[in-house]
Amino acid sequence: MILTKRFFAEAGLIAGLSVVLGLFSHVPLIRQFMRGGLSPGLISTETGPGIILITLAEAEDLFVGGQGVFVDARSRKDFLTGHIPAAKNFPFEEAKREAIGEVAAGIPRGKAVVIYCSGKDCPTGLALAVLLRDQGLDEVRVFTGGWAEWIAAGLPAERGNDQE
Amino acid sequence: MIRNKHVLYVFGLIVGGLFIYAGVIKIADPLGFARDIQNYRILPPAACLFIALALPWFEALSGAFLIVGIFKRTSAWLVSFLLAGFIVLVIVTMARGLDVDCGCFGSLSRKADGWLILEDALMLFMALEVALSSPGRRTLS
Repeated sequence: MILTKRFFAEAGLIAGLSVVLGLFSHVPLIRQFMRGGLSPGLISTETGPGIILITLAEAEDLFVGGQGVFVDARSRKDFLTGHIPAAKNFPFEEAKREAIGEVAAGIPRGKAVVIYCSGKDCPTGLALAVLLRDQGLDEVRVFTGGWAEWIAAGLPAERGNDQE
Repeated sequence: MIRNKHVLYVFGLIVGGLFIYAGVIKIADPLGFARDIQNYRILPPAACLFIALALPWFEALSGAFLIVGIFKRTSAWLVSFLLAGFIVLVIVTMARGLDVDCGCFGSLSRKADGWLILEDALMLFMALEVALSSPGRRTLS
């Protein structure tokens, strides 16, 4: 009954129109994807000024030298099971909804801010970095390897709360 | 089956309006929607991005055609298929124990849970009523 020629013709037209409009309305995004400007987690790695992507070694240096404030963008549950020592937990979902200004104000100035989330494909660390950068924080660093790389390297970790 | 053309028109208006709304806010943030799709952990990044570019237009156009009355029955069927697909997706997601945002309404999305299935089922009912209304007869359009 519904699977008539007319149905397929009309459905095909709507689908075709959607694809054409979808592609043409987002040409810059497609170009960015083609030149590799998106991470596997579909985060734009062309984040503009003020955000620096750092490696495990750089994150470790900042940690050992005590020059970094580590910000954990994962959920509270994940944070409580284990995190980089002295890291502050700002779950991205909460930061997004609540006043991001309060989150930004809670970060001490004068130290390098290092944000991380669960691992290589996690989008929240970079997304939080963009929000904080837009709040006026300078040189927000994103440790792209995240918690997975940190723990795999056998670096120090602690459990529990950051509200000491 | 509901035959009252006024009721059917209102059904079309509600479902069509919601689909236009859902489509438009996702057209505005394709990358956010692509990540929502990726969170379901079914498709690779390129496929997620492609769907995130085309599906919102598909939703918005189907919704618009449903309201305007062009390709009305086809649009009602397409919307029904989409809703049925969403319901299956949410059930599978819940069964896999994934805790994800549905991605239905961009940043206003909430968790993919039982309530979402109920809402989708209600919309599916309305869309099917329009789709199954007597063939060829244009209801108030």
